[in-house]
Amino acid sequence: MIDMLSVLIISVFAGFLGSLTGLGGGSIMIPVLVAFGVPVKYAIAASMVTIIATSSGSAASYVKERITNVKAAFYLEMFTIVGAIIGATITSFIAPRFLYFFFAGFLLTSFLGLSGHMRREFPKRVRQDRFSKWLELDGSYYDEAAKKTISYKIKNAQIGGPCMLIAGLAAGMLGIGAGAFKVSIHELILKMPSKVSTTTSNFIIGITALAGASVYFASGLLFVGLAAPMAVGTTVGALVGGKILNRLPNRLIRYLFLVIVVALIAQMLYEGITLP
Amino acid sequence: MKRVLSVEKLDSLISYILIFGVLVSLAVETLGIAGYYSSNGSLNILFRPSFAMKGTNFFSYVWKLIQELSVGGWSPMQVLSCGIVVLMLTPYLRVVASVLYFGLTRNPKYLLITLFVLFVLTVSLLISK
Repeated sequence: MIDMLSVLIISVFAGFLGSLTGLGGGSIMIPVLVAFGVPVKYAIAASMVTIIATSSGSAASYVKERITNVKAAFYLEMFTIVGAIIGATITSFIAPRFLYFFFAGFLLTSFLGLSGHMRREFPKRVRQDRFSKWLELDGSYYDEAAKKTISYKIKNAQIGGPCMLIAGLAAGMLGIGAGAFKVSIHELILKMPSKVSTTTSNFIIGITALAGASVYFASGLLFVGLAAPMAVGTTVGALVGGKILNRLPNRLIRYLFLVIVVALIAQMLYEGITLP
Repeated sequence: MKRVLSVEKLDSLISYILIFGVLVSLAVETLGIAGYYSSNGSLNILFRPSFAMKGTNFFSYVWKLIQELSVGGWSPMQVLSCGIVVLMLTPYLRVVASVLYFGLTRNPKYLLITLFVLFVLTVSLLISK
């Protein structure tokens, strides 16, 4: 069985690659731990705690820079935490075989992240509906790249909220951030600008992960010996990945993403099929 | 102007809670891993029920851990658990700070929304199996 040092070293790589590709460290670590013989439910529970560290670390700077829309985050959080608790409860009871297939299936949604360039970075002429206006879902931030202050309005809160229930369900059930899925809802339905979308998603992920982790704690699936080195390694890896992301060519990142996602899907399908 | 300053204060407060919580937890976990190696001579992960974090509920687990740590003679597993507890409390404190903020700035809509989030999180941390 794997030891803490191995988990620490692998987590640094997983955090690094997860940060570069946008998959997140948990999505990479769970299949890797499973390959090393760690029961999938223990890996999911430890990953849920790890996500609190990585998302909180990166969310801190964005909140301070006022890019994150805290009001939108809390409104959407109402749905994701309920979803996460339901999802984690399902995982506590479900047969592991189903988890492998669900995990492989949900990894496919990470391809949504690839189509990010097709969406507008700054949605224009958004006509806000009454409910979103009532929720005060608007804001502004200074965009360093565009060198101007971006003002924006968010719409369709009544549809976006319930959609986030599904994101929370997947996150809680599979021990991942489900960032690509959340960002797609933010941008396609709520019409958030790209930077507000990713930073608000990061903010939401931490609280959602706590909701999921609380269920795994109650179920006795949370092992500190696994979660602690994973949290340290993944956070360090994600910090390094974040620093060098801008220096790497987009094409390399996309190839890396494709290779990793295909390998992870294959691994989880293999585990699901060969499970006695 | 007053409103902008208030929002900035919330953002700064949340940001400091996040940074402080993550840094402290990671430092404690690193110490715990080093302590585990020095006392056991290996870093094997044991998946026995006694090595899982488990208590009547999360808050009672935290209270029990504080009592054990206050007595002294910290075991590496207790230090590791302490790191995970700090990590789990970080987003919880973030929500508590937001509830206080929206209460103090008299924003009833977001006070209710943040209270709902806090209530669900508290119930989920109070449940036990």
